[in-house]
Amino acid sequence: MTSAALAVGDRPPNLEKTIELPDMVAYAGATWDWHRLHYDTDYLATKGLPAPLVDGQVFGAYLAEQVQDWLGPRARLRRLSFRFAQMVFAGETVRVTGAVTAVEDTPDGTVVTVEQTITVVGEKERVAVKGATAEVVLQ
Amino acid sequence: MSLLTPEIEAMVGREVNYTAPEELGRAAIRYYAQAVGDDNPLYTDDEYARANGYDGVIAPPTLICETNQYAGLERDTEGYAGHGWGLDIPGTRQVRGGNSYTFHRPVRPSDVITATWTITDVRERVNSAGHEMLVINSRANYRNQDGELLVTNEETLIFVALEATA
Repeated sequence: MTSAALAVGDRPPNLEKTIELPDMVAYAGATWDWHRLHYDTDYLATKGLPAPLVDGQVFGAYLAEQVQDWLGPRARLRRLSFRFAQMVFAGETVRVTGAVTAVEDTPDGTVVTVEQTITVVGEKERVAVKGATAEVVLQ
Repeated sequence: MSLLTPEIEAMVGREVNYTAPEELGRAAIRYYAQAVGDDNPLYTDDEYARANGYDGVIAPPTLICETNQYAGLERDTEGYAGHGWGLDIPGTRQVRGGNSYTFHRPVRPSDVITATWTITDVRERVNSAGHEMLVINSRANYRNQDGELLVTNEETLIFVALEATA
């Protein structure tokens, strides 16, 4: 992907992830985060939650993966911000969508800004992460 | 009663440092990449990473913002072993607002991470349902053993009153 090929409104391919409980267990291990919210059903019942809660921090990884895969291994993610909207539970599938909102030439290279959203797909479709913005430098 | 007590206000500027007991490591990077389902060879294949301008494999950018590896803390009764401010505010529930990451330089397996967490701002708001909220902004700077700034993580935590005030 070269900067000349990019324009405002371009969209990276959607990224879909189904987050099963074993994925969440692996993530909990890989991030040294063993909070009971993410696997302990007895604990979850005391909190009134219907199923293990997906650790929201993982969505940062998905947002980064979408732009990195699209813009290639020489692209460098410079900034990433996101806000949590709705909870996501074990077994649900999320979709990361995005669109280019700016392409600017700077002394560091071409900076591409992509606005992203993460939506839970299926019968209870809802927004999980809103107002995400990734800034990627192409060199 | 206001959630923004003098004790809470006095927390602005509080700082905590954590230094990992060892290098981040290639296995930790591969484990994380596999756990999030990201098969980009930048994280596992030295040759591929070198061909794309790096010294060797790098960590996925958000890894050090998400891991508690550096903290070395005992897990609490809820199983959590990461950084926290020890805030227990009666009559509220804690929710995560969001994060803003700035990536200054790539993180490598040989980096020994030091995280410096600082409370930057506390303020009070009322949400659309009339519930008081305490919004706590903090910042983590992650550096390696050479003092190089790797990533900055700005985080918003929100404590929402369980009952509406009005």
